[in-house]
Amino acid sequence: MLGQDLVGVSSIHSTPVYQILLTRKYLTSKIMPLLAAIAVVLCTAMVLITWSVMGGFLKNLVKSGRTMIGDVAIVWPNVGFAHYEDLIEMLEADPMIEAACPMIESYGLAHLPGDRTELVVIKGVDGPSFDRVTGYAETLYWKPLTAPHPKDKQQRDWRNRSHGLWEQKYRDGLGLKEYDANTDRQVGAAVLGIEVSGYNIRELWGGYTPGVVVVPQTDGTTRDVQVLMFDETITLNLLALDGSGRTVDTKTRKIPVANEFQSGLYDIDKQTVIVNLDVVQDMLNMDQAERIDPDGVDDPFRVVIDPLTGLESLGAGPAMLIDPARVTTVLVRGVDSEGDPRLLAERCREIYAKFAAKHARVPPAENIRISTWEDQNRTLISAVKKETGLVLFIFSFISLTAVILVLAIFWSMVSEKTKDVGVLRSIGASRSGVAMIWISYGLAIGLMGSLLGGALAYAIVLNINPIHDWMGEALGLTIWDPRVYYFVEIPNEVESDKAVIVMLGGVLSSVVGAMIPAIRAACLSPVRALRFE
Amino acid sequence: MPLLEVQNLQKTYRLGRVSVPVLRGASLSVEEGEFVAVLGASGSGKSTLLHLIGGLDRPDRAESVIRFQGESIYGMSAGGLDRYRARTVGFVFQFYHLLPELNVLQNVMIASMVRHGFAFSARRTGVRARATGLLEAFGLGSRLRHRPAELSGGERQRVAIARALMNEPRLLLADEPTGNLDRKTGDAILDALGRIRAESRQTVIMVTHDAHVAARADRVVKLEDGCVVAEHSRPLV
Repeated sequence: MLGQDLVGVSSIHSTPVYQILLTRKYLTSKIMPLLAAIAVVLCTAMVLITWSVMGGFLKNLVKSGRTMIGDVAIVWPNVGFAHYEDLIEMLEADPMIEAACPMIESYGLAHLPGDRTELVVIKGVDGPSFDRVTGYAETLYWKPLTAPHPKDKQQRDWRNRSHGLWEQKYRDGLGLKEYDANTDRQVGAAVLGIEVSGYNIRELWGGYTPGVVVVPQTDGTTRDVQVLMFDETITLNLLALDGSGRTVDTKTRKIPVANEFQSGLYDIDKQTVIVNLDVVQDMLNMDQAERIDPDGVDDPFRVVIDPLTGLESLGAGPAMLIDPARVTTVLVRGVDSEGDPRLLAERCREIYAKFAAKHARVPPAENIRISTWEDQNRTLISAVKKETGLVLFIFSFISLTAVILVLAIFWSMVSEKTKDVGVLRSIGASRSGVAMIWISYGLAIGLMGSLLGGALAYAIVLNINPIHDWMGEALGLTIWDPRVYYFVEIPNEVESDKAVIVMLGGVLSSVVGAMIPAIRAACLSPVRALRFE
Repeated sequence: MPLLEVQNLQKTYRLGRVSVPVLRGASLSVEEGEFVAVLGASGSGKSTLLHLIGGLDRPDRAESVIRFQGESIYGMSAGGLDRYRARTVGFVFQFYHLLPELNVLQNVMIASMVRHGFAFSARRTGVRARATGLLEAFGLGSRLRHRPAELSGGERQRVAIARALMNEPRLLLADEPTGNLDRKTGDAILDALGRIRAESRQTVIMVTHDAHVAARADRVVKLEDGCVVAEHSRPLV
């Protein structure tokens, strides 16, 4: 009653005016809040830069990994399945599917110039249709450049010169065919991953130049030979399988190299050789062929030619069947590149079921393997995701120092301002009102620090490549070596949702850091506070 | 009914493991408009008495009672006690206790900011006028923008009195307001307090150890070992 009678009923608990005034005064009159704000700026910037670069790295990795495999793969390994043209037609008729292409995936031995032999992954594809599904043309390395690479300041990139040659190489690589002067016709060709041969030298500016090998001569001298892989021929050894998957033959063939590709994923670029589909089908006995029908009856009207005399006669002979060509894989690209690949995979399974119902000698729908690009890259993606998470965790943990720093600074300031707390309580400020001064103080420092930290991170990430180049030139410091990281450029994109999360984290950390001293201030006895020395 | 009634006030402080009884059943009654001086030696419990009357501290025992206009202030909630301090009581301390970051005008106005809360913004003009008027009355009209560090001791104490009076409290509690000042400056402060009393019949309780200062009061209460041992209606000197 007295409290209300004497002082009225209006509350004085939430009194922002004096809190705002004191927060502003405390912020501007001491060096310590500035130090706290700098700590928040640096921690916010550090976490955001790390997350942006690592996130960009992961994004590039996923993009590169997806380049060579499309969105969904329908796979029946080793023996493969027939009538794939029909399946592709059915798939491409679906509104969810943009394009589909055949592929044979196998292992082989590639004999390279310099008498080297490498175990490689063979991908037998039809260049143009493979490009529609995977964007393969983009990965072809030897092609004319419209502008020199910004990092190639001395213009040492071969692709800046002889545009006609690179234009031809690009066409040959895309079609996986090359003109053979001996036979005067186009023959099936191969395109190697840029790292397969080991003869291309990755430069600091991120591109490749053909390397030089030292060849010993019979007279005891040596000769430097520049190896131009895109002009070389390799020898491929493949194991041909029969329809039941048994090895029936080892096929060896010399194949010209039409070009090289760079997917961006080191493993793929180091191990993969893309070869014309016809060549691979032929070498693996997966092309269209006649076979004797074991259940067939002799045909009495069959014309038989005597190989010795050349005379024709009507006679009995075995009944023949046509075995259609086979592939191990059909790659599919969805219309919506950002859509959920699992939905696309489900649709592919439905279409395959209809396809399997139409054709007798194809794997049944329940056995066929249908996987998304994410499934195929799961190990790699999850490894990078975990690495990103780990780095973020470590940096966030380091950022706890900001919280501790804010706490220490606020603790010291509350101690210094103990008398002020006593004075404020003596003129009627509530405990919560006093606490709010310090919480507002933390909020102000957090907001200021986070906004400036976000801006700093944005500026650094956006210009991270020029900054890195400058460090290289001025200080001789190269942190991001493209020969190691495999991407020429450091990812330089700040995602707004990440920025918001990190900045909110910065504000929250500061408020939490201010909370303990604020509670301490609120709990101080006014009398003890006034007597504090 | 007296404006303020203090009965059997007991308070003990702990210094480490030692309990130090400061007030041992002090009782006091103050009428509206009265100027009471509490006289006592250092450690006699004068300041503690003032802090308890002002609601800055709580007595140890339930039988200790402080009634303002007949109602116990320690029956109030924490919020009620905050409001009591904001609107009913004005404190003047020996060491001024001004906020060093604020200028003179802000130091006086902050009492009103705390009292009015959100409503302060609407009253800002009136509050500023009252604060300026008080400071001019204390001869500080030219020092409004100065920080406390730029003022003399006497000036600081005048600012502290202006702050205490800002919300027109029913009760002014002064804890040795001249204890840190030389005699001449102290007298000037007491003259200023006297003027206020004369103009507004302000109830004042002033704590002092100086009989000369106490002589200005209507009534002097002598405190010894935590108990009121004597009361005199004017002057002891």
